[in-house]
Amino acid sequence: MSGRVIVLATLIAAGTAAAQTPQNQARPYTAPRTPDGQPDLQGIWTNVTITPLERPADLAGKAFFTPAEALQYEKDVVGRNNADRRDGGAQADLNRAYNDAWYDRGTKVVETLRTSLVIDPPDGRIPRKQQGAPGPTPGFGRPPEGPEDRSLPERCILWPTAGPPMMPSFYNNNYQIVQAPGYVVILVEMIHDARIIPIDARPHVNTGIRQWMGDPRGHWEGNTLVVETTNFNDKTRFQRAGANMHLVERFTRTAPDTLTYEFTVDDPSTFTRPWTAQIPMKRTEGPIIEYACNEGNYAMAGMLAGARADEKKAASK
Amino acid sequence: MRKNFVMMLGLAGLLAAVAPVWAHHAFAAEFDAQKPVKLKGTVAKVEFINPHSWIHMDVKEADGKVTRWMVEGGSPNALFRRGVTKDALPQGTEISVDGYQAKDGSNRANGRDITFADGRKLFVGGSNPDEQPNAK
Repeated sequence: MSGRVIVLATLIAAGTAAAQTPQNQARPYTAPRTPDGQPDLQGIWTNVTITPLERPADLAGKAFFTPAEALQYEKDVVGRNNADRRDGGAQADLNRAYNDAWYDRGTKVVETLRTSLVIDPPDGRIPRKQQGAPGPTPGFGRPPEGPEDRSLPERCILWPTAGPPMMPSFYNNNYQIVQAPGYVVILVEMIHDARIIPIDARPHVNTGIRQWMGDPRGHWEGNTLVVETTNFNDKTRFQRAGANMHLVERFTRTAPDTLTYEFTVDDPSTFTRPWTAQIPMKRTEGPIIEYACNEGNYAMAGMLAGARADEKKAASK
Repeated sequence: MRKNFVMMLGLAGLLAAVAPVWAHHAFAAEFDAQKPVKLKGTVAKVEFINPHSWIHMDVKEADGKVTRWMVEGGSPNALFRRGVTKDALPQGTEISVDGYQAKDGSNRANGRDITFADGRKLFVGGSNPDEQPNAK
């Protein structure tokens, strides 16, 4: 808490809300350098926060909390997230089987006190072309006949917030950045991926080559690592974006223990304009813990067995 | 702090709002809300594995027969990070499980509430807004 008070006091001293973006800070922090002279982003970072991606309707027009409002919001969200409660009937009770020992979804809003991670458009909302509820998730429209009918995280392929872009999730929000001459590597704890980002001017791979995490290219702009990623496949669909999603991520050390992460998503088939989110990542304790996902995925067999049991039950009626 | 977090007695925050449900997988696909179970027995072994932990327990039936059950928990990484290891649930520990049985009728359940013999809850999450184990 005291850390946030200090941050807030600094921001007030800086005089304007605009001081909260890394580009406009009055006295920008300069990161130490790696042996080959690059800003040193290395370490283990967490993006855990309860600040929502999009500004909730009841906060429309309000880009920042006051400190008192932030405390109240945190109290409300933590209470709502409490999975120890048993109300709501058997189905809700069954679905709520992880309590907050297994979960680790944070208890704090971001230290900038923004009310949404989306900072542009200024209304904090994703400028979607298509409003309303998304269509059915592939595989969930029928009982799963095999693993392919279940979702990517259930199949241990990709966690939807592992990125890119990297978003806070319900647990294991931890990332390790390692730099070597010509490369930056981001190891993602959830659920096993390592992004290997070349830092040079080589062109993207052929447009016909499509990858789960896309094809990243990095370069330095002053103290900021800029990573441009293309060549996604059509299965990840971040915020319903298609395979032609164009992603630009910016990593800037803005304080000794803060790595400010911003990403801009563009996909004219899905969004009316590009949009940007900002997450201040905080230094955290290591190590990154292994997440060997397939080896112990007993639940996949359990879910398929559940579907067969449902079919048998339906057939006997 | 860590010990308190793990062993803390349950707080009944009975709020009306519905929390978002999104774990590694849909529990509803695997377990049956129409089959609530209450199991009492001893820990046989614990698998702290991803994507889900599994507690294996021996349950003594009324006729004296012992049945092995598997109870599903969450990803162990968050527990490890809080200093909780396999030693938290040694073999032979008496526990009670309040959960839901697998749809296929096998002896698997999700552990909605897991309680020690003296009534303390195992791995109960807190609601302390000042606690953010992962941040400095």
